Amino acid sequence: MNHYLLSIFVAVVLFTFVALFTTFGVYAERKISAFIQDRLGPMETGKFGSLQVFADMLKMLQKELITPLAADKALFALAPIVIFVAVYLGFAALPWAPGLIPAHINVGIFYILAVLSIETVGILMAGWGSNNKYALLGAIRSVAQIVSYEIPAGFALISVVMIAQTLDLQEISRQQGILSAENIKFLGFIPVKEAGGILAWNIFRAPHLIVAFVIYFIASLAESNRAPFDIPEAESELVAGFHTEYTGIRFALVFLAEYSMMFLVSMVGVILFLGAWNTPLPNIGAVKLADWTTGNLWGIGWIFLKSLLLVILQMWIRWTLPRFRVDQLMDLCWKVLTPLAFLCMLISGIWRLWLM
Amino acid sequence: MEQGIFVFLGIVTVTSAWFVAASQNLVRAVFMFFVTLFSIAGLYVFALADFVAITQIVIYVGGVLVLMLFTFMLSSKETLEKLEERKHKYFSLKQLPALLVAIAFLLVLVNAIFKLHPDHLQWITQSQNNTFQPQDNTVTNIGINLMTSYLLPFEAISILLMMALIGAAHLARKEQGND
Repeated sequence: MNHYLLSIFVAVVLFTFVALFTTFGVYAERKISAFIQDRLGPMETGKFGSLQVFADMLKMLQKELITPLAADKALFALAPIVIFVAVYLGFAALPWAPGLIPAHINVGIFYILAVLSIETVGILMAGWGSNNKYALLGAIRSVAQIVSYEIPAGFALISVVMIAQTLDLQEISRQQGILSAENIKFLGFIPVKEAGGILAWNIFRAPHLIVAFVIYFIASLAESNRAPFDIPEAESELVAGFHTEYTGIRFALVFLAEYSMMFLVSMVGVILFLGAWNTPLPNIGAVKLADWTTGNLWGIGWIFLKSLLLVILQMWIRWTLPRFRVDQLMDLCWKVLTPLAFLCMLISGIWRLWLM
Repeated sequence: MEQGIFVFLGIVTVTSAWFVAASQNLVRAVFMFFVTLFSIAGLYVFALADFVAITQIVIYVGGVLVLMLFTFMLSSKETLEKLEERKHKYFSLKQLPALLVAIAFLLVLVNAIFKLHPDHLQWITQSQNNTFQPQDNTVTNIGINLMTSYLLPFEAISILLMMALIGAAHLARKEQGND
């Protein structure tokens, strides 16, 4: 019975983390966007507006749950739950530290790709259930975009998996630092297993993995429906896309899903490309920086910091670049990213066979 | 506890599949199909086929189901209503062939179940010492088998998929010159 209690406890901890991250993320997004646009952002509620998000949350919880008269009631009510749970399920397989992973499964990365594809069903549910043309258009755009960008993202990830020879996320993490069982070569030639640190990360294991990381990062922006790929909720054309009709706590769930998706895709990118819970500091001669900064607590700190950096990068991009047009978006996916991702996969195969 | 989860998944699979078959609302039936596919994936996990379970979700939920929903959303409301119309008769001549096939298949299944003696099957008694543990990594096994024993079917399927892709691209291509 203890085993089941522990599972429930882990799930609650993860949910708390996701909720806390979202509150923090919304505040950070407002402040960063304000900084980029030369404004102040929220300043009235609390010191430097720090209580603004909590005030917003209170407001959202109090709001009435409005269901449109012509909506499909069951689908309309269920959709936000499906959208959020799909993202939340993904967190189960992500490793946080050398000995800390909620669910250690052999097919970790494949599992994450699978549960993320459930989100599209939730979005279609919301779009159809609302019985509103903006919601339906938004849902169709969103799903077309997510399904298309899954391909370059998937192939960029596969090119890493081919180098790492495993789908197990904990094993992939272990290969990128001083705890690795096999030899690591910086750019395929200089052995760096002893030094570890930033030199041992997957992104530097082969030059084409840098390209793969950029492809994955762009595709992950599109998968989480973030600008410059936010045509599903383009305010100027579609009101708010698939969640136009949602109010109160249902809207909050959709928002929660978006922010946890941002963190999830960043964390997957960090695990596969940027050394997971491994320290960026290498061993330099007698100064064993990597040995000193590897461990369970350090691991949590590093992976959280790195993912947070990627999240900030996502926000920076959102408030800097204008929105893509639909045809430009599909052009970028099918004519640029997908062939490049295929090329990366091909190079990965050759690299693994002849250079490792 | 495991048995409880198994029974729960089984019940969910059967009831949702029944709902899919019986529902008048086509869109809801498709969404219910999602529940069916998901619980079948859970049953695969019980059969220690975790890779198959996840592939099921990727292909059916992420691909086939989304495609089905897309066709609903792109078709007009009148077509859908015509499809949803149903004559309130339990039996009509139109349904006879389907009924015959279903009964014949049921007979085959029942016959097979009675004739099978599952405890004495040769391949089951032989494989009792050669089983998977829940912790075993099945992915490497699948990969090696696909590239050795089952290479020809694997290649045949890849050619089939290639044909489907080329066909889809041909259908979607803009006709040049005659518009």
